[in-house]
Amino acid sequence: MRTNLVLELLDVPGQLVGVLEPIGGLGANIVTVIHQRDVKTERGTVPVQITLEGDEENLDLVLKELERLGISVIEIDGVLRKEKITTILIGNIVDRDVKDTMDQINQLQGVRVADLDLKMAEEPLESSAKIIVEADYGKRDEVMDKIHKIAENKDFLVISEV
Amino acid sequence: MKICLMGFGAVGQGVARVISLKNDHLNDKYGLDVKIVAVTDTSGAAIAEEGLDPDLLLEIKSKTGKVCDYPEKGISDLDALSVLDQVEYDCLVEVTPTNIQDGEPAKTLMIKAMADKKDVVTSNKGPLALSFSDLIKNAQENDVQFKFEASVGGAMPIINFAQQTLPGCDIESIFGILNGTTNFILSRMTREGSSYENTLQEAQQMGIAETDPTQDVEGIDAACKTVILANSILGMDVTLKDVELDGISRITSESIALAKKEGFLIKLIAEVSSHTLKVSPRLVREGSPYSVEGTLNMATLKTDLADEVTVVGRGAGSIETAAAILSDLVNIWKSK
Ligand SMILES: NC(=O)c1ccc[n+]([C@@H]2O[C@H](COP(=O)([O-])OP(=O)(O)OC[C@H]3O[C@@H](n4cnc5c(N)ncnc54)[C@H](OP(=O)(O)O)[C@@H]3O)[C@@H](O)[C@H]2O)c1
Repeated sequence: MRTNLVLELLDVPGQLVGVLEPIGGLGANIVTVIHQRDVKTERGTVPVQITLEGDEENLDLVLKELERLGISVIEIDGVLRKEKITTILIGNIVDRDVKDTMDQINQLQGVRVADLDLKMAEEPLESSAKIIVEADYGKRDEVMDKIHKIAENKDFLVISEV
Repeated sequence: MKICLMGFGAVGQGVARVISLKNDHLNDKYGLDVKIVAVTDTSGAAIAEEGLDPDLLLEIKSKTGKVCDYPEKGISDLDALSVLDQVEYDCLVEVTPTNIQDGEPAKTLMIKAMADKKDVVTSNKGPLALSFSDLIKNAQENDVQFKFEASVGGAMPIINFAQQTLPGCDIESIFGILNGTTNFILSRMTREGSSYENTLQEAQQMGIAETDPTQDVEGIDAACKTVILANSILGMDVTLKDVELDGISRITSESIALAKKEGFLIKLIAEVSSHTLKVSPRLVREGSPYSVEGTLNMATLKTDLADEVTVVGRGAGSIETAAAILSDLVNIWKSK
């Protein structure tokens, strides 16, 4: 079985070897590696396309190992991977322009607010909102940075996932 | 082993009780005979070179509230610092109240004991959160042992656990629930759907939260412990002002209900890593190691070799905290 992965690596020497070595050790064969150093992202990462051959078990092991190494796999067999990020905000959510809060998050590339659940409290200052964001894999830090910035401006308490 | 016990409140009395309970066992197993040669509280001191009777100490304290009423050996208005000069001892057990302004009187007492070449055991977070590197330096220069297992998580093993049981691992981060009072309040709000104010009041009536709950509910107590773990386990050099802080006083029953719908609980979590020192309410998965209830404490250590290791235990209590102090005493004794 063949699988195509797109990984996101920092463009520094040694990164690629650091990934290919452990893959080799897990019983999957590396068929091709395409390292596109000219398409650097804002965060200084470059996409690396790797084609692997092995049985399903070995490919699973590879994905687990990459996750353990903290390497984002952003695409598997042409499908972008998404992750769900749940956050709860407490504060004067409504008066501080809910739509603007959503818009600011949606402006991030590859990120969208998938669900919003508002609960009003007797005291408007203590309303809560649950926001579920669907983001391309590896964007968690960017999303959380954004939410923390909004919260700082609007005096919200941010309750994020551990 | 002759100990000077500074402070005779919940923890100090717990120490007397566990010594009374366990001395025969310690004698049989390790040849360790713990003698309390001095004890102090705000009334003064009791001093006896041959050792005070722990049961009598407890009886006097519960009757009159003053250790200086100990028959023949009690001295009123003697301050703790002069006690250290008047008595022969091996180890200072420092259990006075936590002071997060300047760490006193504990800091001066501990530094004096170290300068006099005595080992030191404490449960007091104040001086550790404010002057950790100073204290460690003093201990090293004087070649004495300095142990503080009880200061984080009470009876939950964590500092000695990381240092002695996982010595080959690099600890990359620690995520934990390090304050029992706030865990009790949040667990109760989750179960009962009750408001923060009512639940806090209830916790105060049950003696779980203090009359002035600020240190607990604003996360200051957990932040002190965050500093202690960062310094002692992750080898950082930080103090209380380096910790980002959000307490639980803004948490509402509505926010807890929203979290529950998604299978999450809200817990006050301390995050300790080389890039983040933070105490804040966080979402944790129901059924995960973070979902411990009541006053329990827990911590998950992320390591390079052993992956994640989680410890759980009682974060407070007289006997429980004294148990951690006793572990430190036994460890010091075994290392001699
Ligand atoms: N309680 C717990 O479960 C627990 C758990 C972990 C860590 N700790 C820490 O352990 C320490 C002791 O806690 P605790 O609960 O035992 O406190 P506590 O019940 O308030 O007892 C404090 C003791 O220190 C004495 N004291 C106060 N000021 C003093 C001074 N300036 N010099 C000498 N003695 C003084 C008090 O005297 P009087 O008796 O005359 O008032 C009392 O005996 C604190 O630092 C606390 O944060 C406690």
